[in-house]
Amino acid sequence: MSTNESTTNESTTMTDRTPVDDADVCVIGAGPAGALLSYSLANRGHDVVILEAGPRFDKEARVDRMKDQLHPTHSDNEIWDMGGERDEYSTSGEHSWPINQRRVKGVGGTSLHWGSVVPRLYEKDFEMQSRHGIARDWPISYEDLRPYYAQVEQEIGVAGDDETPFLPRREESYPMDPLPLSYSDKLFKQAGEELGVTVHSMPMAINTGAYDRNACQGYGTCQFVCPSGGKYSADIHVRKAEELGATVIDEAPVQRLNHGPAGEEITEAVYRTPDGETHRQTADTFVAAAGAYETPRLLFLSESAEYPNGLANSSGTLGKYFMGHPPAGVLGIVPGENTHQDEYGPVVSGGIHQFYEYDNPDDPQRASVNMFTINAAGPSPATMAMESDAIGDSLLDQVDTQFGSTVGINMSIEMLPREDNQIGIDESTTDNHGNPVPDVDITPGEFARKGQEKGLQVGSDLIEEMGGNVVYAQGTQTTEHDSLGPLGKGGYHPLGGTRMGSDPAESVVDPTLKTHDLDNLYISSGGVFVTSGASNPTLTIMALSLKAADHIHDDLQA
Amino acid sequence: MELTRRDAVTALTAAGITATTGCSGLAGDTTGDAEPMDTLVGLAEVLYPSDVEPTAEFIETFMYGRISDEESYREELAAGIETLNTLAADEQGGAFHTLSADQRRSVIENTDLRSGPSEPDGSDVARVNYYLLDELLFAFYSSPTGGELIGNSNPRGYPGGFGYSPPLEQ
Ligand SMILES: Cc1cc2nc3c(=O)[nH]c(=O)nc-3n(C[C@H](O)[C@H](O)[C@H](O)COP(=O)(O)OP(=O)(O)OC[C@H]3O[C@@H](n4cnc5c(N)ncnc54)[C@H](O)[C@@H]3O)c2cc1C
Ligand code: SF4
Repeated sequence: MSTNESTTNESTTMTDRTPVDDADVCVIGAGPAGALLSYSLANRGHDVVILEAGPRFDKEARVDRMKDQLHPTHSDNEIWDMGGERDEYSTSGEHSWPINQRRVKGVGGTSLHWGSVVPRLYEKDFEMQSRHGIARDWPISYEDLRPYYAQVEQEIGVAGDDETPFLPRREESYPMDPLPLSYSDKLFKQAGEELGVTVHSMPMAINTGAYDRNACQGYGTCQFVCPSGGKYSADIHVRKAEELGATVIDEAPVQRLNHGPAGEEITEAVYRTPDGETHRQTADTFVAAAGAYETPRLLFLSESAEYPNGLANSSGTLGKYFMGHPPAGVLGIVPGENTHQDEYGPVVSGGIHQFYEYDNPDDPQRASVNMFTINAAGPSPATMAMESDAIGDSLLDQVDTQFGSTVGINMSIEMLPREDNQIGIDESTTDNHGNPVPDVDITPGEFARKGQEKGLQVGSDLIEEMGGNVVYAQGTQTTEHDSLGPLGKGGYHPLGGTRMGSDPAESVVDPTLKTHDLDNLYISSGGVFVTSGASNPTLTIMALSLKAADHIHDDLQA
Repeated sequence: MELTRRDAVTALTAAGITATTGCSGLAGDTTGDAEPMDTLVGLAEVLYPSDVEPTAEFIETFMYGRISDEESYREELAAGIETLNTLAADEQGGAFHTLSADQRRSVIENTDLRSGPSEPDGSDVARVNYYLLDELLFAFYSSPTGGELIGNSNPRGYPGGFGYSPPLEQ
């Protein structure tokens, strides 16, 4: 499938992409950060219009996308049609993050691609400066977000264990019982018992049967395509918002936001449509929810006489303190053991959060480590078969020898915010509309590297304890970066760049996610994170979006 | 509650979600002409292990049931069969389906089939690799039919239910 192709997208049948009259709220981006917020506002009677750069994908075609995922010819970005001039980007820093393999443009956003692992951030992640003397505190606490976390878990359907050790304190039950530990989780658990490492279940946004969408059917391809829709993706809440009266205009990339004469309020979002037309959407309130890669770019591109360094950038911090969770992974082979990879279905069900806390809280030397044990480690039998040149019995022998004894752990590692880690724009390269493209310049740093080392050590020890051989143990920084395979490189969890704070001189948005500079512009995104924690970020992104929706509702009432 | 895979598969089939039901496919396209199907069965016979006997029914179900964009796939199939026949004629002097299993194997081994690139928009042979050979391999190795031969009855890509987690062996 060539990139940006729209032959299998529903959107080709929808032609009216003209602006909506009298919109209360205009949301830019239909990923998790825009979807739930739009639903929450539409549910309270507000007229919401969502402008989404990508198409509305056809659900029927997900089986074909899943097949693309397993076919050795296709790279990850092709699965959801990413790439080409539309999606150009630069990485001027030391680390070449493959951004187009880490995002999806379309209704549902990158959650079409995600793994659906949904731990909360920890209390300490909000209070790094006061507790540990590093980074800085958020202007809100875990306690402020706790009710919103619980709401999101109810909305998206999370299967989790209330008794899981280490995970932050919760007062509400998960809406679904946890996924059972898989066979390989149990191998890790058994090995962990010998080594004093606790393996537990992970909270997953996968429908085990109780939710109003198809239940998981066990394709085992959650990351990057769930053909059944058992995995939560944000198109679900986009559709729910539409049922409540919201309008979605797809294939409508917003080019810039314009403000009124005094520079106090946004007046319109200027967007383009496939027919080459330019339209202007007006609204009372605007929400930039274009993801942490595109939201800073939109603000830079919206520079004006009042905001010569980028919209909402009076502080000069736009694009700064950009973070990602450097990934790391360990793969092992346990000779003679059928580890039952693939057979379980969901790619993740277990994890290890014991090393999220610091060894020495008074003087943390390494990053928090969030580890998840994998139920589909290594290539699938079909991928192996297609990759080989053999046929007949020798092909079967080959696949049989290679498949069946793998175990794996992936991890996401905390990274400290640093002013010089930035996402900006590259004026020398332009997209299909002639706009400068995003440019990432990021180096995770020593703290993160030590976290990776810790995780890799724990993972390797566990595999060796179960009698296995470690065949791969790498992270973004533990090896020559450019020699890493695509999965090992960073970029999965872009955070920061439009950070939150109480001081307008040091941050882009206030604790309600409203920009300090403009009275009616909110940012809903991982971009507002002050610190990264190590937990997969999307539950927090969605919790923040529900909190912002409450503030927007209050604004609109006033 | 821990659902067994058997429960899940039954539920799935009942809900009609497995997306592997056959459809008019080749038979509807080429009434009275068994050649395309014979070609595919002949190809599957040499791609699959010798103990496996691919049937027209099996091919029909998998080659069509999982394709949402059938019309263009049907065209690729027709073109692919023609390419196979050209290669077979050059190598062994006859249409692919008329050759013995050994001859079919040597057509594969002596050309870019399998060893060459497999691409949806590539050369004729690259497209045969992609749309015919890889499709047949996917059908086999991502279903219990092939999976069970390597000890896996729910390989990746197959909706065989979730939560299968046998007790540890020792
Ligand atoms: C492989 C992978 C696995 C992941 N797994 C997990 C996981 O297990 N758990 C977890 O918590 N997180 C995971 N993530 C991260 C998760 O996908 C993101 O955190 C989440 O999608 C962010 O939501 P968002 O709405 O801010 O951005 P996105 O989901 O990226 O959505 C932004 C939307 O805005 C649109 N847009 C961009 N620019 C414009 C514009 N100018 N005009 C209009 N629309 C625009 C885009 O097209 C897109 O649809 C994973 C990510 C990847 C890549
Ligand atoms: S295992 Fe379940 S959640 Fe994952 S892709 Fe399959 S159906 Fe979707």
